[in-house]
Amino acid sequence: MEASLRESVDGGVGVPRGLSLPRRIPGNLAIWVGILSEMSEFALMFIVYFIAKVHNPELFANGPGRLNTLAGTVNTLLLLTSSYFVAKAMVAIRRDQGRLCVRWLLGAVAAGSLYLVVKMFEYRWNAAQGIHADTNLFFTVYYYTTFNHLLHVAWGSIAVLWVAARVHLGIYTAQQHEGLEAVASYWHMIDLAWIVIFPLLYVLR
Amino acid sequence: MTHDRILDRLWLTLMLLTLGSAWLAESAETGLLVTLAIALVVSFKGLMIVDHFMELRHANVVLRRLMRIYFYVIPSLIVLVYLFPRQIANLTSLS
Repeated sequence: MEASLRESVDGGVGVPRGLSLPRRIPGNLAIWVGILSEMSEFALMFIVYFIAKVHNPELFANGPGRLNTLAGTVNTLLLLTSSYFVAKAMVAIRRDQGRLCVRWLLGAVAAGSLYLVVKMFEYRWNAAQGIHADTNLFFTVYYYTTFNHLLHVAWGSIAVLWVAARVHLGIYTAQQHEGLEAVASYWHMIDLAWIVIFPLLYVLR
Repeated sequence: MTHDRILDRLWLTLMLLTLGSAWLAESAETGLLVTLAIALVVSFKGLMIVDHFMELRHANVVLRRLMRIYFYVIPSLIVLVYLFPRQIANLTSLS
């Protein structure tokens, strides 16, 4: 009984029933235009990083060691966790568990907010170490990339808060939650960008 | 395995991989093996998030390909920049 119930919800293959369609677009087409544009923008920043690195190997070898690895690591854990919370929220809404969905979404907003707090702490810590955007090219790339990403986390958090309110008001249901799915996809894109930023700026020497 | 259970396990795996990367950042010199390991971790994390968190695994084929290509190209660039820095510097010089 429980197994068949689970299968009816999960499709038995790891994805929710009804989602396994080769043409299905999570959310809507508009959000994917936005997501692909943002991914292209971040790709451009990564290309700038690679070009700056090959022209300034010493700066880019020494730069990551001067950054606060703990802050970078904590923020990676926070963003991955927030993405996981959003994915769990999608499972909850499809099971018509609106209250649980709201809780997962608020968890994601909390993780996103903590990310912003850690980032502010990190920037202050940098300043105390004498690290600024004009210290050298590595730190210029670091500030340009991470501040740009920070802005995405800030407005993404507001968007998640907005859809949480709409779930709370009963506007999104198991049958109709396109807007929620669109914001969820956008939030995962923000996580994906950080997955590249973290090793480039904090790990690779 | 249910979608729900996949999400739980994936989250745990991503946490462990992140901690492993942080350990590398603090303790290891960046050699070829470390660079390869980092590139593989970036690729794995990206592909897993695209497929399972974004739920593109069984969705629109074009969107899935576009998103997945990203996590083949960027990790490849990480390795190429490590292996051929001078050649890439020459290719990207204005003079």
